Order: sequence, then C-alpha cells, then structure tokens
Amino acid sequence: MGRILLIRRLVLKDMRRHPAEAAMFLLAITAATATLALGLAMNGATNNLYRQTRAATAGPDVVAMSAESGQAALTTLAPLKHAPGVVGHSGPYPLLYTMLKAGGSTVRAVVKGADTAPGPIDQPRVTTGSWVRLGGIVVERGFATALGVRVGDRVTVADRSFPVVGIAVTSATMVYPWAEMGGQGDGTDDYSGLVWLTQSNAQALSGPQRPMFYALNLKLADPAATQAFVDSYRTSTIPVNFFTWQFIAVQDAVLLNDTQPVLVIGSWLLGFLAVVGVATLVAGRAAKQTHRVGLLKAVGATPGQIAAVLLTEYVALALLADGLGLIAAWLGAPALVDPSAGLLSTSTALTRGTVISVTCLALAMAAFTTLGPAVRAARTATVHALADAARRPQQRTGLTALSARLPTPLLLGLRLTARRPFRAILHAGGIAATVTAITALLTYYAQPQQGYDLGSSTLSNLRADQGRHVLLAVTVALVALAAVNIIVITWTTAQEARRSLAIARTLGATPGQVSAGLSLAQLLPALPGAITGVPVGIGLYWTFSVGTMAKPSTWWMLADVLGTLLAVAALTAVPARIAARRPVAQILSAETP
Amino acid sequence: MQDVVLAMLAKEPTHGYHLRARLRQALGPLGEAMNAGQVYVTLARLEKAGLVSCERTDGLPDRPDRKVYSLTAAGQRRVADWLAEVSWPKPDLAEFHLKLAAAAAARLADPVALVGAQRRELLRRLRDAQRAAMAEPDGSTAALLLEGVMLRLQADLRWLDACERTWSAGMNESEG
Amino acid sequence: MNDIGNTAVLRACGVSKEHGQGQSLVRAVDELDLAVPTGEMLAVMGPSGCGKSTLLHLLGGLERPTGGEVWLAGQRIDTMSERALARLRRRSIGFVFQAFHLMEELSAAENVELPALLAGCSARTAKRRAHELLERVGLADRARHLPPELSGGQRQRVAIARALVNEPLVILADEPSGNLDTAATLEVLRLFEELRSAGQTLLIVTHDERVAATADRLISMRDGTFVDDTRLSDSATMRLGDLIGLED
Repeated sequence: MGRILLIRRLVLKDMRRHPAEAAMFLLAITAATATLALGLAMNGATNNLYRQTRAATAGPDVVAMSAESGQAALTTLAPLKHAPGVVGHSGPYPLLYTMLKAGGSTVRAVVKGADTAPGPIDQPRVTTGSWVRLGGIVVERGFATALGVRVGDRVTVADRSFPVVGIAVTSATMVYPWAEMGGQGDGTDDYSGLVWLTQSNAQALSGPQRPMFYALNLKLADPAATQAFVDSYRTSTIPVNFFTWQFIAVQDAVLLNDTQPVLVIGSWLLGFLAVVGVATLVAGRAAKQTHRVGLLKAVGATPGQIAAVLLTEYVALALLADGLGLIAAWLGAPALVDPSAGLLSTSTALTRGTVISVTCLALAMAAFTTLGPAVRAARTATVHALADAARRPQQRTGLTALSARLPTPLLLGLRLTARRPFRAILHAGGIAATVTAITALLTYYAQPQQGYDLGSSTLSNLRADQGRHVLLAVTVALVALAAVNIIVITWTTAQEARRSLAIARTLGATPGQVSAGLSLAQLLPALPGAITGVPVGIGLYWTFSVGTMAKPSTWWMLADVLGTLLAVAALTAVPARIAARRPVAQILSAETP
Repeated sequence: MQDVVLAMLAKEPTHGYHLRARLRQALGPLGEAMNAGQVYVTLARLEKAGLVSCERTDGLPDRPDRKVYSLTAAGQRRVADWLAEVSWPKPDLAEFHLKLAAAAAARLADPVALVGAQRRELLRRLRDAQRAAMAEPDGSTAALLLEGVMLRLQADLRWLDACERTWSAGMNESEG
Repeated sequence: MNDIGNTAVLRACGVSKEHGQGQSLVRAVDELDLAVPTGEMLAVMGPSGCGKSTLLHLLGGLERPTGGEVWLAGQRIDTMSERALARLRRRSIGFVFQAFHLMEELSAAENVELPALLAGCSARTAKRRAHELLERVGLADRARHLPPELSGGQRQRVAIARALVNEPLVILADEPSGNLDTAATLEVLRLFEELRSAGQTLLIVTHDERVAATADRLISMRDGTFVDDTRLSDSATMRLGDLIGLED
C-alpha cells in the first residue's frame, strides 16, 4: 500500500516538477496515436457505415437495373421477382436521367420514382423534412450537401420546378457522385446525384428524349450469396445490370482511397518524430534520473522498485496519450469516413484491433525512448550514480581533429554534433520526415485539379478534397512537432554541453560564436535530412497515385529545402542565444566536481 | 592576567566578585580553571603597583567583600598601552620539533610513535573542546574562544600529520 | 579484538577494493579488518583519496569488495543479491551523505517517509514516524518545505531523520559536515551526540578532525590501510581550563 503511494507520489511530483516535458511527451505521442487510430478507423469504416445504413434502410441484396427502357424493361424484370433464391422484392421503380438546376448549378441527376409509402425493401431514411409527396422532391443527402440544397429550396428537374420536401439516405444506390451506377444503358459512366419523386411525378417527366428505365430491388434468401445469384444470369442475355450490396459498399469506400494511406503513413512519420523528440528529452534528463536512481538505491529501493518508479511515469503518460489519441480518432472519424454524407453515420466504434494497435504503438514509443536510459540508470552502480556520473559522450577524434582548422562556430557545431552521433541521425531523420510530408503536400498541389463534371457545372472533387485536407492536417502536425523537437534538441544539447561551451568561452569564444555553433550543430544534420526528404516525399506520392503524376517545380522543391533549413536556424536561435548568454563563472562554479 | 583585570575595571569601579563573574562569563566553561583567589591576588598586586585604588563601601552586610576597585590614572595609561599592543603568543612548536630530531638522531625513540602519541593527546583535547562547544548555547562569546582553541588544535594536528609523513619517509629511506 | 569481533554489529574481515587493472591498479581499500560494536560511535579519518569513502560504501553494501568479507548483524552481505542488499540497506543501514542527497521534488517530511514506504510501511505509519523524527531533529515546522528552501544544516538534519526512519542498526555518514559551515556542523554534531547517547551505532567518515574528535574511537586511514586506532572516550578528560593558558 505504502509502496504504491510512494510510486504515485514520486511520479506525480516529478511530472509537476517538469510539466513542460510531460506535456511534450503527451503531445508528441498523442499526435502519433490519434493519426494512427484515425488511419485504422478508415479501414472498413465505410463498409461498416454502409452495413449500418443498409440495416436502417432495409437495403436490397441485389438491385436489378434494366438496360432497356419502357415496357420492354418491365417485361424483362418481371420474371426476376420470382426467380429461385429471391424471397422479396419492391419495384420496379422508374428511373429517369435528366438535368437538375439548383441555385446556379446545372448538374446531371437520376430521378427515381418512389411510393409515398416505401415498399418492404429499400426504405430510404429521411434525415430532414419528409418523404416524397405529390409535387415534392426529396434529394439524396450527399447530393444535397454538394449542391448546398436545403428543405424548402426549389429545384428544377426537366424544366419543372419542385420544392425540396426532404433529404434522405439510401443503400440501394451508390453514394454521390455515382448515382447513375454505370449508366443509362449506354455504358457512359457520368457523375450524377439522386433525387426522388412520386411515381406519377416521375412518369410525367418522361418522354421520347427521356426514356423511362426501371430498377427492381431484390431480397435473397441468403444475402451473402448475391454473387452466385448474379452469376446464374451471366450466361443468359437478358438486358439487366445487377448490383450486389457488396459491390455498392466497395464503390462507396473509393472516396477514402486517398485518405487512408495519408493517415497511416502520416502516423508513422509522426511516430518517428515523437520518438526523436521524446528520446532527446529523456536523454537530456538521464543525468538527473541517474542521480535519482542512486539516491533511491542508497535508501534501499530494490531494482524492481526503481524500474517501477522510472517506467510508471512514462507508461502512464503513454497510456494517457493513447487514450487521448483514441478519443480524438473516435470524435474525428465520422467526419472523415463519409465525405459524401450519403451514409448514416450513427457511430463509428473503434474496433478492438484499432485499440490494440494504437496502444501498442504508444507503449512501443514509450519503451523505445525510455527503456534504454531507464535500464542504464538502474544498472549504474549506486556510488557512481550518486556522484552524478552522466554518460560521457563519445568523442570522434577524427572529426574533432578536422574541425580544428575551421572557423569557431563551425568548429563548435561539428564538435557538438560529434558528441551525440545517434541523436544527430535521429534529428536528420526527423527533418527528413517533415520534408517528406511537405514535399508530398507540394506534389499534391502540383496536380491538375479535377472536379466532378456533372454536365454544365463542375462540383468539387470529394475524394481529392478530403485527401488534400487530411494531408494538410498531417503535414501541419508534423511541422509543429518538428518545430518543438528542434527547440528541445537545441536546448538539451546546450544543457549537456554547457560546461564545455563555458570553457570555450573562457578561451575566447564570443556568445555569438557559441550560439552560432549551437545552431550549426542542428543545421548540419538537418541539411542531409532535408535533401533526403524531397525524393522520399515524391516517391511516396508516386507509390499511391494512379496514372500520371505531375512533379512540383524545381523552384518549389528548392524553396522546400531552404525554407526548412531557415526554419531550423530560426527555431534554434532563441534557445541557443539564451544558453550562450548565461554567465560563464556561474556555470563553471556550479559544476566543479 | 593583570592587563585583563585592569581593562575590565576601565568601564566602572567594580566589586571583586563582579569582576570574577564577568571573567567567567566571557570564558565560559574554560573559566572554570580560574579559582576565586586568583582575581584577588591580582587585584592586590595591582593596588600595590599603584594602578588600582580601592574603597570600602557600606551596606550589603551579607557580603564579606565590600571593596570597590577603580583604575588610577597610571592604571588607565597602562590599559591604553595594552590595547595598542600587537604582540601575539608565538607558536611553541620548536620544542617538539627538536624532540623528534633528537630522538631520531640518537635512536632514543621512534619519531613516528612520538608523533602518534602527541596526536592522540591533541585529539583528546580537541574532543573536550568540541564537546564543550556543543554544550554552549548559540551566540555565546565563550564558544568563540572555544572555536579559536579548536582551530589551533586542528592546525597543530595537521602539522603533526606533516611530521609523521616526513619522519616515516625519512625512516624508510635510511632503512632502504 | 576477537571478543569484540564476535559481538560487533558491523564487521569487515580482510576486505579489499581494487579499481582498474594491470599498471593502473589502485587498491582503494587494502585488506582491512574492522569491528564496530553496538552503540559505538566510530570515526574514520584521513585525507581525501585515502579510501575511507570506499570503505564506507563497502560496509554499507553500496559497493562490492574485490576481496574479504563484510558482515552486518551476523549476515554476510558482500555476497548478497542486489535485491537482498537493497532490503538490507533500507532495514538496517541509514546513510548520511556530504551532498545530503535529498529528493528535490519531495518535501522534508516526504523525504523522511521515503525509506519507510519503500520498506512497506503503511502511509499512516510512515507519516507518523516522519513527524516524530522531524520533531527530534528540530525541524517539525519545516516538514512541508522543499529541500531547496532549507539551509545546509537543515537539509542534513532532514537527511539524518531519513536515515533513522527505519530504525537502522548502523548509521553510516560520509563527510556529513563537508558542505556545512561551523554553526551547521555543530547542529549536526549535537544530533549525532544525542543519537550516540541513545545507543545508536554510528560510523562517520571524515577528513575534519573536529568531527572525528567527537567519536568514541578514531581510526586514521592512509592509502587504503589503517595507521592508527585510538579510543578517545576512555581517556581521563582534563580540566577544560587547561586548554587555555591564563597566567598571572
């Protein structure tokens, strides 16, 4: 009991003593876990939403659409109602392909005739307003969102004006912009939206220029066996297109094709940056932590108790970050998984797999960054630990000898880099990750923008928009984390090297030279990092892009690298200046062994 | 001692027992060696030398001592001279140093053993002084004197360490 | 020596500690025998680098000897596992260091509670004991202060209270006055004297003759070996007045 109290007390007091470090740890890991959780939540999320929508709207197992129009279509569809395996049906409902005017846009639309009381299969869920009535039109929600149409607005279909009486969601049709589901029999696959009218209103719109097609909703005895049902008609030549509910679900998920890789790869990059920052933070505290360990050992803490004290803090923070990340994903996912708003997003439960993966990531980051220093601290002999024997940085004699001929700031910078080669590599990797994301974003913007062409008007491309927004958000998160990292690394380097820098100043180095040296120590690894990031970013984009890809201009890429280096220089300047201006005597006298 | 008593009379004419009490207060535990007679003997000598005058007072029938002492002009001059004086007790180390040298030369005794014995003696003195200092309340003037005594003893002990190092090295050389 | 050795609470037999190897081999402690009887206040004195701190670390199980044996209360400790040593330290040994080594983020009372909680005391017991001990060292009114808010002498007294919280068999003090001025040293020495008269076994390692002189027994150390072992307490004390020469 007392021991648990003790561990809790030590952990809490330590966090209170170093709130900035705890916050940084939390922030870095939360950024990574939230992104990964979001990325994983995308997995099958649309499928889930589609299933939920299908259950809520009594969705058909198979939609049979006639390739012919008029009476011929009805004749063709009729035998399907009683085909083997079919246990229920509704329709056939008339379908018209026409133009719709709303506000300033004129766009392609599919008009579906509907019963005022929907049949047993396909009962669209009205999300606002009411269901169709004579003279009133209902707009599919994704379509309505893209057009900016609300209940009470008027829209013109085939030159007849209708008031919008409701907005609804269905699972019998693909989400906007694929309402045509493969076209009006002529094979053209155009973007369009869906609206419902009463059957009589719909029929009134048909004419020689606007033939009437039909769609029949079927319910099968075995909803899983849709493919077998469709295959049984493959050899026959009846002019009908079949759409299984599984196919519709897959097509609906296409909108997320850009989003998911961005999130998953983004989470790796964020995770890497988090590791860089947190590892530096933990390493910077190693000396103090070792002393704490020595003290605990001297008063009789067993190795197990010491490990508990050291790791509990980071594990608790990592789990907190894990929880925050999952909550962020849970809150954020609904906005991301249904870009067209064409499905019912009642809830997007995080799957157990997502929770486990994200928790593993958080714990792995905590372990990767803290286990080494913790074990080292716990293994240090008590007497050495108490004597504040911090790990002596390795000296790279070759580099040190070379640096002797260089101007002072460069000499100091090189030596500081050489002190902690592993940290320099991590730092370079962090910069590379950031530049990778920036380059990918620039490449994205370099692509020609293709909106949805719905006839006369072009509406914005949901898939590309969503991909760009997510990429932008991930890049912003990466840049922010990288900025925090640079400050942390500079400050930690300055703290660790304060004694040798103070000695350099007693030998005549000016504060300016010292702070320039500290900045250079960060710029040296940043340069190769930034240069590597550009091709990696373009390569990554290329891996996930379809078709031809436009490269951003050389000027943009050059600006990318130079801008990053300038940002590094600017961010290091402040902590470096503060560190370089502390009085020499104070530093030296405080640390005389 | 004579100068100390004179200086203590400079403030105002004083009874002998007051004088003694003031001395004991300044010396603290170190003053216990001083017996009652010592002050009176000193006063008598000073009176004889014409530096102090003495008056009998009335009253206070319960006190056997009713003499009040005060400084004469000569006494005051002597006090002024004493205060201006800068003489200081000389460290008396030569004797022990020569003892070691003689013992070593004549092989009468092992100088290192002599140093050891001396060290133990000084450590005991230091212990007594330290214990007396620990018993003193904070801010006592006597503690200051004890501090001086201890610093002296510490210096002497360190010198003895130096003696020990030198003589044991010297022995090894002559033997080796 | 043998009869003391058998009743000694802390005992070292031919204990050695070597650092480095080959040419750079240094014997910090060279085959020392030592027995500390219960209730004794022992000082080990010597110049810096003579091996006295290493000896203290060996006796307290902070370092392992390269040769010889260390016994505490009839248990051989130099062969114990790290875990068993930790338990032993918290139960039977109280350390007092020159640099105090208090946890800066914990208050004075929490620092004192630390070893008690590590040893598995309930929070309430630990709190009560810490309060009693802080009262004993005269710092009851400073219980909630953090170490940086205390003077050197106060910090060292907190450290002593911490060393006492599990009622150890032995207190091992390494240069307890090294960072203190005269007045603070006196505070600490008074506290040690009080512990000594209460029967606490104390071993103090110091280079300060004045601290060493307060002990019952004083061992002088040079280059890893003992050069002198003096019992100070049983000498007939002289009259204090003889310390000064007040002649007529």
